[in-house]
Amino acid sequence: MAILILLLAVVVIVVVVLIGFYNSLIRLRNQVKNAWSQIDVQLKRRHDLIPNLVETAKGYMKHERETLENITEARSRAINAGSVGEKGPAESALSGAISRFLVVVENYPDLKANQNFLALQEELTSTENKIGFARQSYNDQVLFYNNKIQMFPSNVVAGMFSFTVEEFFELEDRGERAVPKVDFS
Amino acid sequence: MWELIRANKRKSLILFISMGICLVLLGYFVGAVFFPPDGGTAGIVIALGVWFFMSLISYFSGDSILLAVSKAQEVSHDVHPQLFNIVEEMKIAANLPVMPKVYIVAEEAPNAFATGIKSEKCAIAVTAGLLSRLNRDELQGVIAHEMSHIVNRDVLFVTFAGILLGSIVLISQVFLRSMWFSSRSSRRYRTSKKVAGGGQAQLIITAVAIALAILAPILTRLLYFSLSRKREYLADATAARLTRYPEGLASALEQISSVSLDLPSANKVTAPMYIVNPLKKKGMQLSNLTSTHPPISERIKILRGMMHGVNYRDYQKSFSKVRGKAPAVIPTSGLLEAKRILIRKPSVEKREREPGKKKGIRDLGDIMRAVNKYAFLICACGLKMKVPPDYKKPKIFCPRCGRENEVPLAELAAVTAAVGAVTVEEGKKKEGPPGAPARQTYVRKGKGWESFSCSCGRLLQISPAFGGSHIICSTCGGITEIKK
Amino acid sequence: MDCPVCKEPMIVLELDEVEIDHCTSCGGIWLDAGELELLLGDPDSRDRFLSSFETDEVTEERSRRCPICRKRMEKVSAGANGKVRIDRCRNNDGIWLDEGELEEILQMGSLGKDDRVLRLLKEMFAKKRQ
Repeated sequence: MAILILLLAVVVIVVVVLIGFYNSLIRLRNQVKNAWSQIDVQLKRRHDLIPNLVETAKGYMKHERETLENITEARSRAINAGSVGEKGPAESALSGAISRFLVVVENYPDLKANQNFLALQEELTSTENKIGFARQSYNDQVLFYNNKIQMFPSNVVAGMFSFTVEEFFELEDRGERAVPKVDFS
Repeated sequence: MWELIRANKRKSLILFISMGICLVLLGYFVGAVFFPPDGGTAGIVIALGVWFFMSLISYFSGDSILLAVSKAQEVSHDVHPQLFNIVEEMKIAANLPVMPKVYIVAEEAPNAFATGIKSEKCAIAVTAGLLSRLNRDELQGVIAHEMSHIVNRDVLFVTFAGILLGSIVLISQVFLRSMWFSSRSSRRYRTSKKVAGGGQAQLIITAVAIALAILAPILTRLLYFSLSRKREYLADATAARLTRYPEGLASALEQISSVSLDLPSANKVTAPMYIVNPLKKKGMQLSNLTSTHPPISERIKILRGMMHGVNYRDYQKSFSKVRGKAPAVIPTSGLLEAKRILIRKPSVEKREREPGKKKGIRDLGDIMRAVNKYAFLICACGLKMKVPPDYKKPKIFCPRCGRENEVPLAELAAVTAAVGAVTVEEGKKKEGPPGAPARQTYVRKGKGWESFSCSCGRLLQISPAFGGSHIICSTCGGITEIKK
Repeated sequence: MDCPVCKEPMIVLELDEVEIDHCTSCGGIWLDAGELELLLGDPDSRDRFLSSFETDEVTEERSRRCPICRKRMEKVSAGANGKVRIDRCRNNDGIWLDEGELEEILQMGSLGKDDRVLRLLKEMFAKKRQ
């Protein structure tokens, strides 16, 4: 009888510990997902900003039709990109178009004195920063989650419920990271 | 970072318990003196009661009291878009579940602090002087430092340890004063019978109580300050890691320390919350043991010493180089961090901020006015008009060119704040929640007459002299925000 | 800040990074000492400018209170031949010009020793000169 109770107690303790590990793994995986969705939110925000930016600049930049059209085109390609595989290159192309545009802006002091344009520029820099920080935060979360999955004793639980290692968000194209630097001087 | 929070909590707990022991001891002996022979327990109960009561108040309304005492005002995105954006950037970097509230203190001395016992309900406050002095990277460094205090649960610690310290000081003060008072007043009327009756034990207890009442506040204060200094270092390290750019915070600290203005809205109790000590700028290096903040020059040197990367190990390395054999500031779990994190490039913004020069003073004044809900109108001729919130007339004639400028009314100012964060694509109709008026944005193309249609289809026109920020459609009541 | 004459809140006008307080009810303006310092470059030229006006003792005009220190201001004479009477704060917080005084000064083309102040006023109140 005593042995039975002891055995039962051990089983209960093991189950409670397992549930604890399982819950913390779930929590971490949700944080990874949340961090990933942050990147999406910021990319969306960038798409929203561009029409206003182009509209403001149009009146001042009569001779830069092409640059402006490039941005608008790159934006619609990024929005319409379906798979993750298409999305990455489309977003990088958009970053490239934005940075070319901002280089051209330097030749238009009137535009740079426009309060509305300045405000849009601040929003754009910040959005580019937020995309960067969202990636950074995603990688931090992934690192933490993967460590948990690979280390004893949580790896046992991870194996039982098939938690799999998440991939880091590394940029295959170095140019992409360098491009969004915006000159606001 | 998340392991660090746990290490931090453990350390706080140890400190907390030792301060608690001080409180209980003090309560016991003071009680024993006041109500001999066995008032010790009653003393403990009273001491804990005082502490519990004060904690309760600060848990439920501590942040609002703190913000009110510091004269901080909550601001919307429109008042200072850059500040708002940077707070959001750091919120994302720190993976905080909610956006902290943003406050501005209308003071010239540059400083900042964070509040919030839970990270779900927190706030960051900066002074107008800070905003007018720092560039984007520097401001980001300061906000990251404050965000680190929130993520590292430092606010929780500062609040409760501060209250524990406050209770100890209160009880010892009351006790010492009453001793002083009773020994003066009673000598004439009392016979020596009572002392003789109490015996030597009572005398010893009295002596111990007096000693405790003098020593306990000093001891707990030292404990409190030493940990609060360590936390500043840790927040600096976390800030460098979050921004990937230690130079931003270093140069911000340099800027802040070059100004020797006291912050009138800070006091001894709230001083440890600020990023740099808001009081007594000059005496800082002298009293190292009792200062709540490490010397700024040292913090700058450590941050600038991080040449190769920005993880916690890099900070500790630089710290040891600057401080010599001082004990580690980063908990061991942070030092295990192996992944190399590179420093990013500075942002290209080259805006020169020259405090004391015209531009700096104008910026400072405009931030303070924006906080105080002034409306800013720019007439088409270039004259800037700043209208106080209690201004009643609906129109202002520009004294320079005679144009008529519309004053945005108070309720419209509130709408601007709400609309500010939302941008609507040109030509695309956007419907608000049912019942609310439709909102859209129209961007002015030039300075002449312009026309466009409201979301309901009605044609709206604006004159060259139009200077307001909104038009309300008379057909559907929809609001169109006009941007220049 | 409230207008010393009609006690209404004044609006602030900014041009070339210098501010002037302006009452839209009575048309008067307040030239703040701090703003004069920004305009003239240093505290010395500000003090020279402020002390260049001579106190006018014999006057029946009502004295007004300084919007900053709330003390009664003194009447001083300004303009080319000292004919315009304006108000100056006794603590040198600044000077107050009524609408009429401002117009006279703009037409006469002289205020005090430094015509940088006059140039700014001419630029800011261009409509009044026409």
